[in-house]
Amino acid sequence: MIRLQNVRKVFNADKANEFVAIEGVNLSIDSHGATVLKGPSGSGKTTLLSILGCMARPTSGRIMLKEREITSLPERFLTEVRRETFGIVFQQFNLIKGITALENVMLPAYPNGEKHASLKKRAMELLDLLNLIGKAFSKVEWLSGGEAQRIAIARALINNPAIIIADEPTAHLDTRLSREFMEIMRQLKKEGKTLLIASHDPIVYDSTVIDRIVEIRDGKIVSSGDIP
Amino acid sequence: MGAIEKQRNILDFTLSSLGRRKGKNIALVVVYTFVIFLLASVLFFTHSLKKEAFLILQDAPEMTVQRLLAGRQDLIPTHYIDTIRQIRGVQSVAPRLWGYYYDAMSGANYTLMVNAELNDRAGEIIIGNGVSMRSMSGKRNQALRRNDIIPFKTYDGSVLTLKVRGLLPFASELVTADLILVSEADFRKLFSIANDQATDLVLNVRNAKELSTIAAKITQIHPDTRPILREEILRTYDAVFDWRGGVIFMVLSGVFFAFIILAWDKATGLSAEEKREIGILKAIGWETSDILLMKFWEGSAVSMAAFFMGIFLAYLHIFLASSILFEPVLKGWSVLYPSFRLTPYISVYHIATLFFLTVIPYTVVTIVPSWRSATIDPDSVMRM
Ligand SMILES: Nc1ncnc2c1ncn2[C@@H]1O[C@H](COP(=O)(O)OP(=O)(O)O)[C@@H](O)[C@H]1O
Ligand SMILES: [Mg+2]
Repeated sequence: MIRLQNVRKVFNADKANEFVAIEGVNLSIDSHGATVLKGPSGSGKTTLLSILGCMARPTSGRIMLKEREITSLPERFLTEVRRETFGIVFQQFNLIKGITALENVMLPAYPNGEKHASLKKRAMELLDLLNLIGKAFSKVEWLSGGEAQRIAIARALINNPAIIIADEPTAHLDTRLSREFMEIMRQLKKEGKTLLIASHDPIVYDSTVIDRIVEIRDGKIVSSGDIP
Repeated sequence: MGAIEKQRNILDFTLSSLGRRKGKNIALVVVYTFVIFLLASVLFFTHSLKKEAFLILQDAPEMTVQRLLAGRQDLIPTHYIDTIRQIRGVQSVAPRLWGYYYDAMSGANYTLMVNAELNDRAGEIIIGNGVSMRSMSGKRNQALRRNDIIPFKTYDGSVLTLKVRGLLPFASELVTADLILVSEADFRKLFSIANDQATDLVLNVRNAKELSTIAAKITQIHPDTRPILREEILRTYDAVFDWRGGVIFMVLSGVFFAFIILAWDKATGLSAEEKREIGILKAIGWETSDILLMKFWEGSAVSMAAFFMGIFLAYLHIFLASSILFEPVLKGWSVLYPSFRLTPYISVYHIATLFFLTVIPYTVVTIVPSWRSATIDPDSVMRM
C-alpha cells in the first residue's frame, strides 16, 4: 500500500546544526496489517510516521501510495490525500480546547462539504462505538486521558481512512487503558484498517494484534521482519 | 459535496471559536465600535449640518441689502425701498426687522424676528423649542408654556411682558430652536428702533441672471449699502462646515491610526494557542485555504458586529442625544444655541466609505498572519 524508496530526511540542512534524522529507508507496508515502528527515543519514529502519513516531505527518496508517486504532489493534493487516506492519533492527542468532544470529532470532515446533520450523525455513531456517547457535549479539557485519546481515535476515523497512524499511543496511559487501546486497534484491524503505530512499549509491540515489527535505531531500519 | 455546506460548517466552527477567546474578542469589538462610533458621528454630524443649513438658505431671499456704517452693519432707512423698487428687474422689496436678544437669566442668545402674522396681535410671541427663558409662571415644559408671560428688558431700561401664543413647528431645529417671533410694534419698542428704519431689506428679482447687475446698481444709488446674494451665503456656509468637519477629522485620524496599530497588534499577534490550533487543523486535513476562510469569517464577524454597533450608537448620539461630544468644537459659528436636535440625514455614500476604510482593512489584517501560520508544515504538530 505504501512504499518508501531510499528515503532520507535532514533537518536544518546546510546549517551548523544539520541533523540527519532518517537515512536510506526502504520500507513497504501492506494493506490490512498492523505494523509497529519500534525504537528508542530519538531514533526517528515520529519523523518516519510524518513522512508515511504525508505530513512531511522527505529530503530525498520517493514515496508511493497505492502505486501513485506522491513525493512531488503539490501541497493542496497532499492535504487531500492525507485527509482521505490517513487518520492520525497524535501522541499529545492534540484536541482543540474550548469546543465539545463532538465538534472535535467532526472537524476533519468540515472541508468535505458534507451536510451538517449527516456528519453529526456519523460522529455520534463513532462516539457510541467508542463508549463516549455521554461525553459528546463535554468540553474536551474536562476529559480524562483515556477519554481524550478515544476522542482522538474517533476524530481519526471520521473520514473513514484506510490507514490509522498512532504515535506512542500508550505513553500517557496506564496498563489497563493501554490494553483497552490495543483492543480498539484489534477491532479496527478486523474492520480492514491498516495500522501504523510507533511505540517502544511492550504492551504494544508484544500484543497479538501486531503483525510486524520494524526496528529503527539512529534513523536507520535495523530489522523489518514479520512476526514469526 | 456542497461548497455551501462547507462554508456553513466552517462558519459554524468559527463562531464557536470566537466565544472561546472572549477577552480578546470583546476588547477588540469595544475599541473597534468606539472608533466607528466617532468616525460615523463626525460624518453624520457634518453632513446633517450642511444639509440643514442648505435647507434654511433655500428659503432665504435671493438678495439681502444691508446698510453699512464705518464698515459695520447698521439700520437701513426704509425710504431706500422706493429707490430700489425703481430698478429694472426688481420684483419686490420688503423691510425686515430682526436681531439678537441676550437673556442673562438663561445665559443664551435668542434670535428675535418680526412676523407679519403677529402684527395685529401686539403683545404676543411664538417661540421655538429651545427657548428656555424663565416665564412668570416658572413652567419649564415647552408644551405647557402657551399663555405664559415672559418678561423682556427693553433698551430704554423698562420691562416689556409678552404672552406666549404658541410654539414653532420644527422642520429644522437648527434655525427654529432659538427663534422668537414678535410683532413689529413690540420689536420697535424693545430695541428703540424708529418707525422709518429696518434691519435690512430683502429683494426678489424677475430673473436670477440679473442678480449681480441689480446688486451693482444698488451700490451705485446707495453707496452705503451692501447687497448679499444667497449664492454667496451658501458657498460660505459650505466652506465653514467643511472646515469644521476637517478639524474633527484630523483629530479622528489620530484615533483611527491608534486603532489600526491596536488591531494590528491584537490580530496579528496570534497566540501560541491559536498557532497550535492552526497546526492541528492542517494536520487533520484542512487546507491552507480552509483555514484562511475560517479566519476571514472570524475577522468579518468581529468587524461587522463593531461596524453596525458603531453606526447605531453614532446615530443615537447625533440625532437623539444632541451630539453632546462635539458641541464645543462644532457649534457657535453665529450664536450659541441653547440645545437642538438635528434632523437625520444619512448618506449611503458615507456609510460605504466608512465600511471600506474599516471593515475591509481589518479583515485583511486578520488574515495575513494566519496565512503565515497556515503555510507551516503540518508535521510540527506531531511534536507538540
Ligand atoms: N524539526 C526538527 N529540527 C531538528 N531536529 C529534529 C526536528 N525534529 C526532530 N528532530 C530530531 O530528529 C531526531 C528524531 O526525532 P523523532 O523522529 O522525534 O524521534 P522519536 O520519535 O523516535 O523519538 C531527534 O534527535 C530529534 O531531536
Ligand atoms: Mg516520537
